[in-house]
Amino acid sequence: MPEQPIPEQDPVVTKSYAVHYVVAMAILLATLFWALWDESFGQRPWKAFQHEFKDRYLAFLTTAKSKSQQSQKEITQSSDYARLEDNYKQARQGAQPRVDAIQKQLSDLNARILAVQNVFTDRRAYANALTYQIETDPSPSGKKNKQKDLDAYKAKLATVEFPDHSKKQFNYGQLEETYNQLRDQRTALSAELGEALKPVTEANAKLAEYVSDHMVDLTPAQIEGLHKKYADWDPKILQINVADANIVDRCESCHMGIREPLKITAAAMTLKGHKKPDEYAQAFVSHPDTDLLKVHDPDKFGCSPCHQGNGRATTSLEKAHGNYEHWLWPLFPKANVEAGCQTCHAADMVLVSGDVGWTISEGKDLFRQKGCNGCHRYEGYDKEPEELQSMTQQIKLLEQQKKDNSKQSASLMKQADTAETNAEATRFNEQAIALRVTNSKIDGQVQQFDFRSHSLMQDMKKIAPNLKDIRLKLNKNWIPVWLKKPTDFRPTTKMPNFRLNDEQVHSISAYLWQTGLTDSLPKQKAGNAAHGKELFETRGCLACHSIGEGSQLEGGTFAANLTRVGEKANYDYLVRWIHNARERTRPYCPYEKKDIGPEDYAKHGLPYQFDLQHSQCPNDGHELQVQNMTVMPSLRLSPEDAQDIASYLITQKKQEPSSYADASFMDDAKLRDEGKKWIRHFGCAGCHEISGFEEEGRIGTDLTVEGSKPIERLDFALYTEAAQRGGKDPITNPDDLARLPGGPAKGPWYDHKGFFEHKLAEPEIFDKGKIKSEEEKLRMPNLHLDQEQIRALTTFLLGSQETSLPASYQYNPSDTRKDIQEGWWIVRKYNCMGCHQFIPGQGTILMGMAQYKDVQEQLPPKLLTEGARVDPEWLRRFLSNPALSTTDTNRNGVRPYLKVRMPTFSFSDNELRKLVRFFQALSQQPIPYVPEQVPTLTAKETDMARSLFSSTAAPCLKCHATGDDAHDLHATAPNFLLARERLKPDWVERWILDPQAISPGTAMPSGLFRRENSQWVFAGPTPSSFQGYTRDHSKLLVDYIFQLTPEEQHRVAGAMGRTRAAGPARNRDQQAWHGNASATGGGSP
Amino acid sequence: MDWRQLWDIVSTPDNVPIVALIPLLIFYCYLAWKQAKANDELVSELEADPVLAKTHHRKTWPFRPGWQKEVHVWPFLLRVEFLAAIIVTIILMVWSLTLNAPMEEPANPNLTMNPAKAPWYFLGLQEMLVYFDPWIAGVVMPTLIIIGLMVIPYIDTNPMGSGYYTWKQRKFAIGTFLFGFIVLWVSMIIIGTFIRGPGWQWFWPGQTWDHNRLIYEVNRDLPDLFGITSNWAKGIFGAVVVGGYFAVGGFLLHALFRRFNPKDYRRMSLLQYSVMQVFMLTMIGLPIKMLLRLALNIKYVWITPWFNV
Repeated sequence: MPEQPIPEQDPVVTKSYAVHYVVAMAILLATLFWALWDESFGQRPWKAFQHEFKDRYLAFLTTAKSKSQQSQKEITQSSDYARLEDNYKQARQGAQPRVDAIQKQLSDLNARILAVQNVFTDRRAYANALTYQIETDPSPSGKKNKQKDLDAYKAKLATVEFPDHSKKQFNYGQLEETYNQLRDQRTALSAELGEALKPVTEANAKLAEYVSDHMVDLTPAQIEGLHKKYADWDPKILQINVADANIVDRCESCHMGIREPLKITAAAMTLKGHKKPDEYAQAFVSHPDTDLLKVHDPDKFGCSPCHQGNGRATTSLEKAHGNYEHWLWPLFPKANVEAGCQTCHAADMVLVSGDVGWTISEGKDLFRQKGCNGCHRYEGYDKEPEELQSMTQQIKLLEQQKKDNSKQSASLMKQADTAETNAEATRFNEQAIALRVTNSKIDGQVQQFDFRSHSLMQDMKKIAPNLKDIRLKLNKNWIPVWLKKPTDFRPTTKMPNFRLNDEQVHSISAYLWQTGLTDSLPKQKAGNAAHGKELFETRGCLACHSIGEGSQLEGGTFAANLTRVGEKANYDYLVRWIHNARERTRPYCPYEKKDIGPEDYAKHGLPYQFDLQHSQCPNDGHELQVQNMTVMPSLRLSPEDAQDIASYLITQKKQEPSSYADASFMDDAKLRDEGKKWIRHFGCAGCHEISGFEEEGRIGTDLTVEGSKPIERLDFALYTEAAQRGGKDPITNPDDLARLPGGPAKGPWYDHKGFFEHKLAEPEIFDKGKIKSEEEKLRMPNLHLDQEQIRALTTFLLGSQETSLPASYQYNPSDTRKDIQEGWWIVRKYNCMGCHQFIPGQGTILMGMAQYKDVQEQLPPKLLTEGARVDPEWLRRFLSNPALSTTDTNRNGVRPYLKVRMPTFSFSDNELRKLVRFFQALSQQPIPYVPEQVPTLTAKETDMARSLFSSTAAPCLKCHATGDDAHDLHATAPNFLLARERLKPDWVERWILDPQAISPGTAMPSGLFRRENSQWVFAGPTPSSFQGYTRDHSKLLVDYIFQLTPEEQHRVAGAMGRTRAAGPARNRDQQAWHGNASATGGGSP
Repeated sequence: MDWRQLWDIVSTPDNVPIVALIPLLIFYCYLAWKQAKANDELVSELEADPVLAKTHHRKTWPFRPGWQKEVHVWPFLLRVEFLAAIIVTIILMVWSLTLNAPMEEPANPNLTMNPAKAPWYFLGLQEMLVYFDPWIAGVVMPTLIIIGLMVIPYIDTNPMGSGYYTWKQRKFAIGTFLFGFIVLWVSMIIIGTFIRGPGWQWFWPGQTWDHNRLIYEVNRDLPDLFGITSNWAKGIFGAVVVGGYFAVGGFLLHALFRRFNPKDYRRMSLLQYSVMQVFMLTMIGLPIKMLLRLALNIKYVWITPWFNV
C-alpha cells in the first residue's frame, strides 16, 4: 500500500462529513420507504390479488350482467310475466290515492312530533337528573327540598311552537301525554299505510319471484349488487375463524372467488388477449364442487381441515400453501386432493353420498382388496381377528376362574364338614354355594362370548386361500414356480412378488406342503365342460372372477383370474370349492389352537359333523372355525353343475400340469424349519391361513396415522439427498417406473407423497445400494399396481392423519348414518357392487359385459331404493337364504327367471343385521318398520281390481312369474305372491305409477295410470263398474296384489291362459299404445 | 465437493451472523494491526527524540506539528459515531427486511432435529461439550470465563497502551486476548456451524451431510490406555496427570513470562501472578484437550464419580 502524504490541515478537525451524511441519510430514507412498502405490500401479497380480482371480476360481472339481462328480457316477454306485471300495475293504481293521503298525514304528524319532542326530551332530561339527586341525597331534609324543586319544575309551563306557528303551553305531565299520544297516532297510521300497500308489495314479490324462478343464473339485480360490492372494495384480510376448532383460514384473502354465487372459471378470469389463464385466473375460480361446500359449510369447517396448508399465513404463496420445510401439513397436491376426506371420514368405506369415481374410496377399497391390512394394521379395517383373540383370552380367563372357584368350593365344603360349630359350618357352606352361583354366572358369560365368537369367526375373512388345503388343492410342482414370481403365471393376481430367492422358495413351499392336511377328498365324476362353460358365463362368476388374458380379459378383478387354473388345481378339490367354497377340510379350534379331526369327535362319541349349526368343539365346547375364511359364496349349484363348471375350468391351461419341473425337495423335512422362519419373516399368514400361524400378528407398521408421521421417520435411505434435491429418479426398472403416477420424479420428492409413491411403485427401492442380509432386506412385496391405483393408495395414506381438529369433526354419526357407514364395509367386502347398482351412476362388472348388452333384463336388479321397497324382516330372511326355500335351493328365490344367481353368503347374524339396517337407512326408512295395514277389499272392489290386473292393456302376468314352470320360462319379473311379505305397499304404488323414476331403464312399463282430477286413473280401458269410483285405481291394484292368493293368481293366469309371457322384444311393441316407449332394462320389483 | 451443501449452510438465516463474522473479524484485525503498527513506530520515534516527545500532539500517528494537541469529543468524535450509527441502522433495516426470523416447525418432543444446534453465540459452548462432561463444559467453564473476564482489570498491571492501538506495549495482553477470542471462541463457533453435521459428526466443508453416515470411532479414557481399572486408581492417576500438567505448565509459563515479559512480572504481586497463572493454564488446557480428543481419541483424562476432565 503506498504511503499517503500527510495533509496540511488536521483532518480530524477540518474534514467535512457532509457528503457522507447526505448519502447515508438518503439511503436511510430509502430503506425507510422500503420498509413502508414492505409493510403494506411486500408482506401482504394478497392485496395485489384483491386488486387484480376486483378488476377482473368487475369485467366478468359486466358481461354476466348483459347476458343475464338478455335472459331476463326473454322472461319478461312471456305472457305470464305480462299478466303478473299488469296485476302489479293495477294494484299500484288502486292503492295510490289512499297511500298518498296517508303519507300526507304522516308527514304532518312527524312535524308535530318533532316540535313536541324537542321541548319534551329537554325537560325530561332535567327532571331525570333531579330525580337521581333525590334518590342519592343522604339527608331526608335534602330529599324533601329537592322533591319540592322537582315538583315546581314539573308544574312550570313550557311553550311548544307547532309547525303551523300556533303556540301552546303545557306543564310536564301534559307534555308527556301529548308526546305519547302523537306517537301512538303515528304507529296507527304506519300500520294503515302497510295495509294499503300490501297488494302492491305482494304483486311485486310475485313478479320478482317469477323472474328468479325462471332465471338459470343470477338476475341482473343480483349481479348489480355484486358489482356494487366489489366496485367499492377495499383490500382487507378475509378470514374464517372457528374458535372451538382453532381454525383460522385466510385463504379467501387471495381465493376471493371461491364462494361467489356465480360460477367462475379460470377462462372467465383470464385477461383479455391472453390465451392461457395466468396464476391469478387460476386462483380466482369458484370451488369446483359447491355441493360439497353445502355439506361442509366453510364457516364451520374453514379450508385447511380438508385441504391443509397454513391457513394463517399471508406473506407468500409458499407459506400459505404450507409448502416450506417447517410446515408439517402442506397443501394436499391436486392429484391427491381427496386425501382431505380421509382425515375425518376414516370410519367410512364409501364416502357418504354419490360416491362414484372417488379416488379416496378407491384407495380405501384397494387397501383391503390388495391385502395391505394383512401386514399393516389400520384402524377400522379387519377388526375381527383382534376381537376374536381377545374373546378367546377372556374365555380362557373365565375358564380358569371357574376351575379355581370349584376347587375352592370343594375345599370349603370339606372345611364345613370338619367345622367345630354349626355356625361355622353354615358359613363355609354358604361361601361354597356363593362360589357355585358365581360359576353359573361365568357359564353365562362364556356362552355370550362363544355366541359373539360364532359371528366373528363367520365375519373373519382372509384375502388369500387357505394353505392348509395345499395338498388337496394344488399341483405340487406348480407351487415353487408360483412362489418365485406370481405375476409370471398370472399377471393380474393379487399375490404380490416377494423377490424370494431359490432357497426361500424351496423352504417355504416345503413347509407349506409338509404341514398341509392330508385328508382324503371324495372322488368326483367328470362333468360336461361345454355346459360348465355356459354356467360359468351366466351364473355370475364373472362379477368377481375374470378369464382371459390381456385384451381378452373379461370379468371382474375382485377375485382371481382363472385363465390357467387348470395347470395348478386338483379337479376333486375344485368341484368341492365351486359347490361350496366355505366347506372346510377340518374345523379349527382357536381355544386349543389346533385343527380338529374325526379322531377328536370319535373320542367323545360324536359324529364327525361340523357346519354353522354344529360349531362346538368336541373337546372343550367352544366355538370352532367351521368355514373357509373366504368371501367366495355358495351359488347353490347342484353337484352336477359344480362338476360341469370344474370340468370347464380344468381345461383352462396353457401347458400341461405334468410339464412342471419336479419339486420333490418339498418333502425334505430338513427344509421345514427354514420355511417356517421365512413364512414368519414375510408375514404370509397375514393373508393366508397357514398351519402353525393361526394367531400370527401383523408384520408391518401401523398405517393409521402414517400421513402425519414426521418425514424424518420415513427412511429414504441412500436417496435422502437425491429426494431432497431432485434429479434422476432412483427407480430404473421400466415396469416400476411406469407405475409412478406422475412419471419419474422431475424435482425434489422428499415428502410423504414422494415416499409413498416410490415405495408402492418399487417397494425395494430404499434397499438399493445398501448391503443387507436376507433378513434385513425390506420385506414389502411388489404389488404390481398401476398408476391410478398408486395414486389412490397414496391419497388414502396422505389423508391417514392424526388430526388436530376436535373429535366432533370426525364423521362418526350415531344415527342411521352410522348404519350406512357400517353397511358399506360389508357391501365392499363381498363385492356386492360387482352385480348390483347401489348409487345412481355406479357401474357394475356385469353391466359392462357384452353378453348383457341386449338382454338388460337379465342383469341383477338395481338396489337404488331397496330399503324403501322391501320389508326389512323379509330382507333379512332373503339375505340369509336367497333361495327362500330350504329344499329347492338350486334357484333364485325372487327372480327365478334370472340366469345369474344371487349367492348364499352365509352372513353372520351380525352382518345380516348391519346389512338390513344399511338398506333401510340408505332409503331413509324408519327402523323398526311397522307394516302398513292393507284394507280388505270388498267383492266388488276385488272384481274391479282383477279387471285391472288382467287387463289386456297391461297384462301383469305376461311378464311376472307365477310359480308355474311352463309360464315362468318366459317371465321377466318376480312373482306377485311374494309381494305381501316382501314389499312395502306405498313403495309398490310409487313403483307402478312411475317405475322409470325408481329404476331407470326397467322393463316395467310406465304410464299405466294417469292423473285425472286429483285421482289416479288406469290409462287403459276400464269396465263400467269403475263409474263413480273415487279412490285411486293404482291404490286399488296394490291392495289387490297384496291380497292375492295362489288360487286367485292361478285362476287369473288360467283365464289369460293362452297369452304366454312373451319376450321383451314383443312386449315393447304391445306396450306402444300408451305412447311412452319404455326402454327395456334392469329388473322390475 | 458438494457446493450445494456448503450453500445450504451459508445461506441459512441462522448462520448469517457467522458468515458475516469471518470477513469482519479479518478486516478489524487488519485495521487494528495497521494502526498499532503506526503507533508503535511513533513510540519508537518519540523514544529516540525526547524533544519531539515533549511537543507532539497526538498519541496516534499520523500527525503534523501545528495540529491541535487535543480535539473535543463534540463534534469531532460524535459526528463520526453518529454516522456509524446511521450506517448500522441501515444495515439492520435491510437485513430485517430481506431475511425473516428463522422460525421452525412446532416442537415435537418425540422427534428432535438433527443436528440440533444452539444459537450461534452459544455454539462454542456446545462444541466444548464434545471434549468435557456437561458439568465442566456447561457450568465450570462458563463460570471461569466470566470470572476470568472480571479478573482482568485487577491483574493487568501494565499502564501502557490505554486509548490507542499498540502491539509493542501490550504484547501479552493482546496475545492472550487473540488466543482466547479467536482460537477458543470464534473458531469453535465456526466448527459448530460449518463442520458439525448430523449426529454432531465431523464433516469437512463441502462434504455432504448424510444422515445415514456411519463412522468408526472409539474414544478411550487415558487411564484405560495405561491399563488402570480400579476407580480409585483412575481418580488418583487423573489427578496426578492434571496436577502434573499444572505443575509443568506453570513452570514453563513462569519461565516464558519472566523471559519475555519481565516488566509486567516485576509489577505483579504474588496473588495477581498466581491468579493469572491459573486462568492462563486452564485456557491453554482447552485446546490441549481438544487435540487429545481429535487426534488421539482420548475421551477423558481424569475420571471421578463427580466430574470428568
